[in-house]
Amino acid sequence: MRAPSATAAAPLLEHLFRRQAGRMVAHFARLLGPAHLNLAEDAVQEAMLRALETWPYGGVPENAVAWLFRTAHNVAIDAIRRNKLLGEKTEGMVAELSRSATALPEDPDTEEQLRDDELRMIILCCHPALTRDASVALSLKTVGGFSVREIARAFLAEESAIAQRLVRAKRQVRDGPLTFEMPRGSELQDRLASVLDVLYFMFNEGYAAHEGEALIRQDLCMEALRLGCLVASSSISTPRVDALVALMALQAARLPARVDNAGDLVQLEFQDRSLWDRDLIGLGFHYFDRSMVGDDVSEFHVQAAIAATHARATDPQSVDWPVILRLYDQLLAINRSPVVALNRAVAVAKVHGPGQALAEIESLDSNQKLGDYHLLLAVRGHLLQEVGRPGEAAACFRSALECPCSEPERRFLRRKLGEI
Amino acid sequence: MSKYLLLLHSDPSGWTNLSPDEMQKALEKFMAWMHKPFTVGGQRLGPDNGRVMRSVGGNVRATDGPYSESKEVLGGFYIIEAANYEEAVARTLDHPTLEYGGTVEVRQIWEP
Repeated sequence: MRAPSATAAAPLLEHLFRRQAGRMVAHFARLLGPAHLNLAEDAVQEAMLRALETWPYGGVPENAVAWLFRTAHNVAIDAIRRNKLLGEKTEGMVAELSRSATALPEDPDTEEQLRDDELRMIILCCHPALTRDASVALSLKTVGGFSVREIARAFLAEESAIAQRLVRAKRQVRDGPLTFEMPRGSELQDRLASVLDVLYFMFNEGYAAHEGEALIRQDLCMEALRLGCLVASSSISTPRVDALVALMALQAARLPARVDNAGDLVQLEFQDRSLWDRDLIGLGFHYFDRSMVGDDVSEFHVQAAIAATHARATDPQSVDWPVILRLYDQLLAINRSPVVALNRAVAVAKVHGPGQALAEIESLDSNQKLGDYHLLLAVRGHLLQEVGRPGEAAACFRSALECPCSEPERRFLRRKLGEI
Repeated sequence: MSKYLLLLHSDPSGWTNLSPDEMQKALEKFMAWMHKPFTVGGQRLGPDNGRVMRSVGGNVRATDGPYSESKEVLGGFYIIEAANYEEAVARTLDHPTLEYGGTVEVRQIWEP
């Protein structure tokens, strides 16, 4: 009988299973072909299940990752032999899987191959044939190692809706058929743009101020960041990728300070900066410096520069607002979106006072799209309060409360209303 | 101190809905329990019902293991130390298998 050994007490790395699941699914998707994504996922799931049935008695094996890797290969071999999915290619595939099963995941060559598999998997998930929602869900499910339920929770969606979306996406992958080939030339640039779009969307979904499930949403942010780093460290990266990674890292650094103990939103200027994640800020600046190579000044570059300016300030009083305002001017020139204009108004208020910001906001007010946008009303209310027009400010907050917004935002607005 | 045998019956299909992250969390709970100071050891059993042998009219026959209606299988066992049944039960109350829908059978190892 085995006695619990001392080494088995070593804790597993956080999210080890999730991470390895993503890597292994990508690995099997390459070996088996993306048309057999389900088979790849099943083999990985089964390997983890076997770990769950075995390790609680014998302890975690010395090389847990290699154990999972080997077991998943064996499961895949059994499955393709049993269900003859691959027809006459079966024995050839078995031979290839047997070869691959002996490679150690820590071997530098294997490690590089696994990273490449993950990269190709993301590129595949962001194929233009798929909608953005489908790309996000498929990326999270395959390379991300998230379950349907976790994805549903993160998006506040029904599990069945996410499951449906994945079934459709996988059918498109199979029937496309979408391949693991790396696109080239302008096609690669287009695909990279859609990868960045998907990652930024994934990040923002996690970052958005929704009620509850804070942990899973934070996981979403961190996964987008991780995938961003993966792309950034690959040969297909561009300074624009670095800029997005910088932006995500600098924003993610603020996550621990964004919500107080009561679960209420804390505005940037009232956040406890000592809670900001120093490692992520360091990572953000590292990628920000890298993004400066070349002439490209994308929206991500400017947004990262804004986030970097906030991160550089040691306290709210030392934020360089004139720089931030100039950056918003630049951002507005790239993207004339009313949301950007609204954010710029906040910077205008800091530099030129609330009166001028209010004047600039008036023009936004008439914009149909923003008429019932709660953030516009909230900012307007705040500025009116600052210029000493409390009656109108209160009216703004009240209208904002009638707009669709999340519970933490609602509490925030009620608090503002109470302060008047 | 006596030794107690904990027989863990569980339904493996209950695990299949867990995400990798949830599986790792479950595993960590099992590992933490395995390292409690009163745990002497444990071993997993094969994922089947084994064989049952009995003598029928003088001939020993081996048949496939007990067939029960439930999907639960005897997945493995632990041996723990406890002063009496009461303590053995108390020490097993937080065994993670219970949280995941399994059953634990507690038997004293008889040492006269």
